Amino acid sequence: MSGFPLSVLWLWALSVLTQLFVLGLLFLKGNFRKLPYFTFYVGLNICQASFLLFVYTHSWNHPATPGTLAWTSECLTLIAQALATIEILEITLRPYQGIWGLGWRALTVTSGTVVLLVVLAARGHWAWARWFELDRGYHLTFATALIACLLLVRYYSIPVPPAYKMLLGGFCFYSCSEIIVNTLLQAYFKKDFFVHAAAWQLLTLSCFIAALVVWAVALRKPLPIENRKPASPSDADYQRLSLEINEDLRRLNEKLLRLWKLEGREQ
Amino acid sequence: MNPALSLLIGLALLILLLLVWVLRDPRKRARLESDLDSAEELGQRHVNYFPQVRQALAAEDLVFLSSRGSSQLVRRMRKERRKIALDYLSCLRGDFLRLWRLARVIASMSPRVGAAEELARFRLGLTFSLHYELIRIKFVLGFAPLPELGSLSDAVSRLSIRLETAMNNLGERAALAAKLASSLDDGHGLDTP
Repeated sequence: MSGFPLSVLWLWALSVLTQLFVLGLLFLKGNFRKLPYFTFYVGLNICQASFLLFVYTHSWNHPATPGTLAWTSECLTLIAQALATIEILEITLRPYQGIWGLGWRALTVTSGTVVLLVVLAARGHWAWARWFELDRGYHLTFATALIACLLLVRYYSIPVPPAYKMLLGGFCFYSCSEIIVNTLLQAYFKKDFFVHAAAWQLLTLSCFIAALVVWAVALRKPLPIENRKPASPSDADYQRLSLEINEDLRRLNEKLLRLWKLEGREQ
Repeated sequence: MNPALSLLIGLALLILLLLVWVLRDPRKRARLESDLDSAEELGQRHVNYFPQVRQALAAEDLVFLSSRGSSQLVRRMRKERRKIALDYLSCLRGDFLRLWRLARVIASMSPRVGAAEELARFRLGLTFSLHYELIRIKFVLGFAPLPELGSLSDAVSRLSIRLETAMNNLGERAALAAKLASSLDDGHGLDTP
C-alpha cells in the first residue's frame, strides 16, 4: 500500500466513499429491491477495496502474491458487473420478449467474435501484462456487447427510462476508459512497471469515480416501476406482416435501382 | 504504437461516440410527433399528390416553350421542375422511412422476432437509402425519367395501403404502437433515426 503515491491513496479513499454513497442511495431510495445484482456489485466493490487494503498492507513471502490476489478479486467484480448489466437490460427489455430474444442472439454473436479477436490479439509477448490484457479483453467484450444491445434498443425505438440509460452509460464509459488506459499504458510504459501501476491506478480510479457519480445521479430518486405491457401481435401476425413488408420494401428498392440503371443507360 | 494497439483505442473511442449518439436526448419532439401523426393517417401521404406533380412536370409545356424560343423561361422552368422533383423524392423517402419505422414498432411488440426477417429489412432500408442518395444526385444533375418516378410513387402507395390494412387489423394494438413510439420524445426514450 505504501508503494502507491499519495494521490492514488486519496483517489482510492474517494472511490470508496462514493461507492458507500451509491450503496446508501440504493438502500435509502429502495432501489436495491429493483436492482439486487447492481446492489451486490457495488457492495462487492466495497468488499474488494477492504480486501485489497489487507492484501497490500500484509507482508507476503512471494512478491507476486498481492498482484495475483488483487486480480483474482477483480475477476469476481467483473463477473458481478456483467450480471448487474444484464439485470438492467433485462428490466428494460422485459416487456419486449421478441427483442430480448433477438438481443441475446446478437450478444452471443458479438461477444463470441470479440472474444475470438481478443484471444488472437493477446498472443503477445508482454508476459508482465497478461492480467492487463485479460482485463482489457473483458472490457472490450463487455463494451461491444453493451453497445450492440443499446443500438438494438434504439433501432426498435424502445423507450428506456433516463435512470437506466445513465446506469448503462456508466458501465459502458468505464469499460471504454479501461480499454484506452490499458492500451495507452501498455504502449508507453511497458518498461517501467511501477510507473505503469501508479498511472493505471490513477486513471482507472478517476474513470470509476466518474461512473459512480453518474450512477449516484441516476439513483438519487426511486427508479420508475416497470409496468409497461405493450400489446403484442401474435407470432403469426408478425410473421405475415414481416414477410409482406419486406417484400414491399424489396420491390421499392428494385424500382429505385431500375430508375438508377435507366438513367445510367440514357447517359 | 503498433497498429493493433491503435485499433483497440480507435474501437474504444468509436464505442464511446456510439454511446453518446445512442443515449442523447431526443431533440425534435414536434417533428417526430407530426411524423407519427402522419404515419397514423396512412391515407394522406405524399404519394397521393403524384398526379399534380406529374402535371407540373409534364414535358409538353417545355416543348411548347422551346418552340416559342424563350430559352430563359425554359431554363427557369427546368430549374423549378428539378426543385419540385427533388422535394417530391424527399417526401417519398419520408413516407418510406415512416413505414419502415412502423414495421419496426410492430416487430418490437411481437413475442418472437425472426433475426433473418429483421436483418433483411435492415438491409433493405440501407439499400433504399443508398439508392435514394444516388438518384437524388442524378436529379440534381438532371431530370430522372418521369414514368419511373411514378412507379416509385405507386410502390410507396401500395406499401402504405398494405400497412394501413395490417394496422387496422391489429386495431388497438396499432394505437398502442404509435403511443409507444411517440413516448420516445417525452424524455423517457431513445431517439430514433
